[in-house]
Amino acid sequence: MGLADSLDTYLELAGTLFAIGTFGFLARRNAISMLMSIELMLNAVNLAIVAFGAFIPALKDRGAVIALMVIAVAAAEATVGLAIVIAIFRNRKTPLVDEYDAMRR
Amino acid sequence: MRAWLYLIAAAIAGGIVTTPAILVFFLFGGSTDDALLAALATLMIVAALAVVTMKDIIRCGLAMIVCFLSLAGIYVVLGAPMVAATQVLVYIGAISVLILFAIMLTQDKVAPSRLVFQTQAVPAAIAAIILAVLISLAAIGTDWHAVTSRLRVATDALATILFKDYTLPFEVVSVLLLAAVVGGVFIAKREDPSEGEI
Repeated sequence: MGLADSLDTYLELAGTLFAIGTFGFLARRNAISMLMSIELMLNAVNLAIVAFGAFIPALKDRGAVIALMVIAVAAAEATVGLAIVIAIFRNRKTPLVDEYDAMRR
Repeated sequence: MRAWLYLIAAAIAGGIVTTPAILVFFLFGGSTDDALLAALATLMIVAALAVVTMKDIIRCGLAMIVCFLSLAGIYVVLGAPMVAATQVLVYIGAISVLILFAIMLTQDKVAPSRLVFQTQAVPAAIAAIILAVLISLAAIGTDWHAVTSRLRVATDALATILFKDYTLPFEVVSVLLLAAVVGGVFIAKREDPSEGEI
């Protein structure tokens, strides 16, 4: 059957995870939920990168290096993003993004 | 009574995870790796769905940890154990804990259920399904010149490439992490110490 030996399996898995993350980012009202959805999308991309590294000989070993870089950048992104959410929460007293409407009024 | 409910819930969860593995292994004649991948993939997708749909945001954070853990298992199946270890260390050990901290700092009263989703949730779901179908079609329709067996990533080869060919990106990432830490502390710190507790 070779499910684990086919690149398409992993790419579809990554696509599904990315779509779930997209749905969460568009549909959730809580700012931290949106950040968690972004983490899901980053993980989906990482899975695709590692899968390409494992199945394309020209990318062998380099896929894993790129994935490690993506993980480090995602850590930086999470730090700054959560700091921004906490700073906004201190000002507005709510984590719900549709109440951040100071520039719309 | 409550203990029985937990037992039944655990049994249902275990069934959801193991059923695809058993199906793949016995009905479709897959190998052990196929069964393992099916179980891990099911666990990952179910946990990801729980992250985006559950009402209690703390449970969303815990489901995210399960999602990351099963993804680390998929990396091991893919033959990249170093990436799996980094996933566990950085994502579960650092990012998930950071997110749980932020949840506990910003959570007040339990929000009513109609507050969980935006009004655009249904169009968002339709758009996400269309996106998933498009990505699947593109992934299947493209010829990637892929081999039909997994290439294992040797950790010593990985170290050689990382510290020989990719030294500059490595150093740039370390500077980026330092800048992110300093920036995060600066953004999140209280301007006026006399201000009340958050």
